[in-house]
Amino acid sequence: MNAAVTVVFALLGVLAVGSALLVVTTRQVVHAALWLVVALGAVAGCYLLLRAEFVAWVQVLVYVGAVVVLLLFALMLTKAPIGVSEDLDAGLAQRVVAAMVALATGALLVTVLVDGFSGEVIDQGATGGAPAIGASVFRSWVLPFEVLSVLLLAALVGAIVLSRRDVPGAGAADSVAGGR
Amino acid sequence: MGLPGRGLAGGLATTFRTMTRRSITQQYPDVSPDLPPRTRGVIALLEENCTVCMLCARECPDWCIYIDSHKETLPATTEGGRERTRNVLDRFAIDFSLCMYCGICIEACPFDALFWSPEFEYAELDIRELVHERDRLALWMDTVPPPPPLDPGAEEAKEIAAARKAVAAPAPTGDRHGEGAAR
Amino acid sequence: MSVLDLLLRLVLLLACFLVLPLVVGQIEHKAMAHMQSRLGPMYAGGFHGWAQLVADGVKFAQKEDVLPAAADPWVFRLAPALALLPYLVVLALIPVGAGQAVVSADVGIFLVLAVMGIGIIGTVMAGWASANKFSVLGALRAAAQLLSYELPLVLAAASVAMAAGTLSLPGIVEAWRPWWLLWQLPGALIFLVAGLAELSRSPFDMPVAESEIIFGAYTEYAGLRFALFLLAEYAGIVVLGALTTVLFLGGWKWPFLVGGLGWLWTLVKTLAVAFLVIWLRVSLPRLREDQLQRLAWAWLVPLALVQLMITGVVRVMG
Ligand code: SF4
Ligand code: SF4
Repeated sequence: MNAAVTVVFALLGVLAVGSALLVVTTRQVVHAALWLVVALGAVAGCYLLLRAEFVAWVQVLVYVGAVVVLLLFALMLTKAPIGVSEDLDAGLAQRVVAAMVALATGALLVTVLVDGFSGEVIDQGATGGAPAIGASVFRSWVLPFEVLSVLLLAALVGAIVLSRRDVPGAGAADSVAGGR
Repeated sequence: MGLPGRGLAGGLATTFRTMTRRSITQQYPDVSPDLPPRTRGVIALLEENCTVCMLCARECPDWCIYIDSHKETLPATTEGGRERTRNVLDRFAIDFSLCMYCGICIEACPFDALFWSPEFEYAELDIRELVHERDRLALWMDTVPPPPPLDPGAEEAKEIAAARKAVAAPAPTGDRHGEGAAR
Repeated sequence: MSVLDLLLRLVLLLACFLVLPLVVGQIEHKAMAHMQSRLGPMYAGGFHGWAQLVADGVKFAQKEDVLPAAADPWVFRLAPALALLPYLVVLALIPVGAGQAVVSADVGIFLVLAVMGIGIIGTVMAGWASANKFSVLGALRAAAQLLSYELPLVLAAASVAMAAGTLSLPGIVEAWRPWWLLWQLPGALIFLVAGLAELSRSPFDMPVAESEIIFGAYTEYAGLRFALFLLAEYAGIVVLGALTTVLFLGGWKWPFLVGGLGWLWTLVKTLAVAFLVIWLRVSLPRLREDQLQRLAWAWLVPLALVQLMITGVVRVMG
């Protein structure tokens, strides 16, 4: 990576981490969802700089375009007051535990990533466009891909069963399991 | 019903057909509108015909005709004759902010003193200006069109029919039954 | 591509972005008027009211920028920009002629669909931040509509991408052949219908149904911010027209007048689709919410899957 790309990458990383922090610290529910948009967008930018074009746009399409909209939709459908919601606060103990869990998860992820990919250099010539992704998903990773799609199918069927009211024994459940 | 979506296609066809036709919008301030005969724009007063009988003012449903008058005595025209009194009009005004253009006053007037004029551009910035006094009502007389020809097959005007009958067969005076039979 | 060249393209893009929506808006004024046996604007600018929208713009600029007392100021102010910008990005990716796109991307179609989906966040933000229950209802409706119609839209676009064997927009136009008009016809119709729904245009204008919820998410907006939302709507029509042109109507291709004037065909086809969008608005009544959802899930999604299958079969056999 040349210098400019590195700088932009670092900035995007800071943006992603900063807005992610705001997601969990803000006391306004909808602001949390909107900061999530920024965080996910910044991550998409990082992908883009890593030449993973396809993944970047999938990130935008699925996460920013659909998941966040779904999130906002659900928030507004339930309760999303303008201004600070006091009950969004947590006690000190809870905060400490949450921070520790987050730090531990982060550390684990970083260790795994560094362990697995340190020293690898991204080939600036090859783009992570659709052909490369398609080839690797449908050649080397076809089995996990299929397993995953079966899992999603199961979640889909489950959601339908839960939300149907005319099936005896099901239905009454008010909380629909959102599967994604 | 038939094919699904036929209604939608029909709607699309209708709007498209309308688009290819001339639109009916009148470009009013630029092009003066083409008014039909007997248009009710404003009421004109022919003062000479008015006898101050007050019929119009009494028939008007919203009481928006104001008439003031006084009696005048005319000296006898012949020696030893009777003096005559007659009504003289002092004020005749129509408040067009109340008038609903029903035309009852014009129908009611037995002396042909009121007429419809098609003029309609007399809007005012002050509502009180909409009371047209007799001079203004008289001015509208210039804009009254000649009566349009009768519709084909329409009944003849009453006075013309009566006059024609009188010419054809001079009936003894006082017999008014024939007139009713003509209807 | 030199810097100067890029700059020129950006300026052209901006000009298109500001002018084309106005052109579409003016066509809407006039076409709708004549379809209703009216004349539409006749005064502004002298000749058949051509400058009506310019006059409207001036009017909007003079209006007071109202911020409701209970609103969330930042979100309220940001929303119009977020609604408008995605369309600018998409327009930059449209290849108007052979090799004549402002920016070209390998996965163009994907990028376009991804960015278009962001615009809805602007509407949702606007609806929520206005502190008005009608606005929230409008935003909810818009979001629900987008979530249901995104799927058929993407599937229809995927069908063309599959047929062309590429995700790049110029690549799709290059691969396009006239008989695709028939082959991809269901896809094209699905794309257009789903696109209309994403733009909340009639007959899918439940989110702004004025008889029920005033103007949906935009109720509290006034002045320039409101104008930005309107601009976004018309820019959306331009983008939808351009995308339909590129994906399904062969972009700059035509039996004659190819060469350097291809962009003219793109423009003509785009405006033709825009006219269709306006025509639909004038002719069709608004769909109810349940009809809207049924259309998406019971008709468009299965149809799109069938189209995908047909495309696949023809690709493998051919
Ligand atoms: S037109 Fe009717 S309302 Fe008007 S002055 Fe005559 S009688 Fe009265
Ligand atoms: S009815 Fe005719 S004649 Fe009698 S006062 Fe009215 S305008 Fe004059």
